[in-house]
Amino acid sequence: MDEEVTLRLCNLADVDDLYEFASDDKVSAWCRWDTYTSKEDLLNYMKTGMIPHPWMRVICYRGRPVGSISVTPYTGADRCRAELGYVLASQFWGKGIATKAVKLTLETVFKDLKDLERVEALVDVNNFGSQKVLEKSGFTKDGVLRRFWIHKGRVRDMILYSFISTDPLV
Amino acid sequence: MNHDQKHQKPKTPTITLRKFVLSDVDAFMSWAADPRVTRFQRRDPYDDPADALAYITTHILPHPWYRAICINNTPVGSISVKPAAGEDQHRASIGYRLAYDYWGKGIATEALKLTIKAAFEELDHLERLEAIADVDNPASQRVLEKAGFKKEGVLRKYVRLKGESRDMVMFSFLVSDAV
Repeated sequence: MDEEVTLRLCNLADVDDLYEFASDDKVSAWCRWDTYTSKEDLLNYMKTGMIPHPWMRVICYRGRPVGSISVTPYTGADRCRAELGYVLASQFWGKGIATKAVKLTLETVFKDLKDLERVEALVDVNNFGSQKVLEKSGFTKDGVLRRFWIHKGRVRDMILYSFISTDPLV
Repeated sequence: MNHDQKHQKPKTPTITLRKFVLSDVDAFMSWAADPRVTRFQRRDPYDDPADALAYITTHILPHPWYRAICINNTPVGSISVKPAAGEDQHRASIGYRLAYDYWGKGIATEALKLTIKAAFEELDHLERLEAIADVDNPASQRVLEKAGFKKEGVLRKYVRLKGESRDMVMFSFLVSDAV
């Protein structure tokens, strides 16, 4: 399984593969973005949001794009920290692919992003799948931030997880 | 000697909150120029009142919620509530600073209590107030706890302070926490 999950930079030719999960309500449910209904819109996001992103990778399973993972740094006094986000096509859930992608990310992101010392992730208290991914990847649960975030119109409690550059890779 | 009098804690002086005016610059310097106060802040102490005046003009006066903590109408510190960026207007972070000579008298706790009440009344949609305190700043952590904030966790290497990344303790006070 391990060798079958790889990360690479995104290119515009990935639009068809990415659209398969970007247009899936099951996938977008936990994400900040709404389900895509046009490839045009997705292509636009790829051009303006994914390709110029400071750290964004496509997750490939057996060479085919099935998701994406990103680490978005804060600026100024907060530049020692960055937020992890990832998305995976629903038919590939439950196989350890997201966990492998997160581990691969942690292996290189601290070298790739200058000043980075802390990768954090915010997970909905009800998103048990994602909580397991982070725990299996070696993240520490910092705490529950109460009524922290408005997700698609609802105020949610979020669990904050962190991985520090000196934490052991698992 | 009256036994009760000997063991009574000094009462917290009466404090009020009001908006800053430019003529507060000298009072402002009494904490902003003091390295003991700025130790846990991102900024260095001010040397020049002209810089302080510029800060009051460009940052404090236009700020959505920034107040002077006053004793007899003289500022001895400040407290501010900053709503989160973008769509998360239900959330705001609190910061406060107090002149060194006024530490240890319950003033910051009292200012926080007044601010919590005012912020939930005045800021539309506000549901969550949050504050972070350096792990090496137990005095500030106690102030937040005494004011009713709940500790949510320690955020490792959360912010850079004077060239070093620091662990911070996160606290919150929800509108539903108000007694």
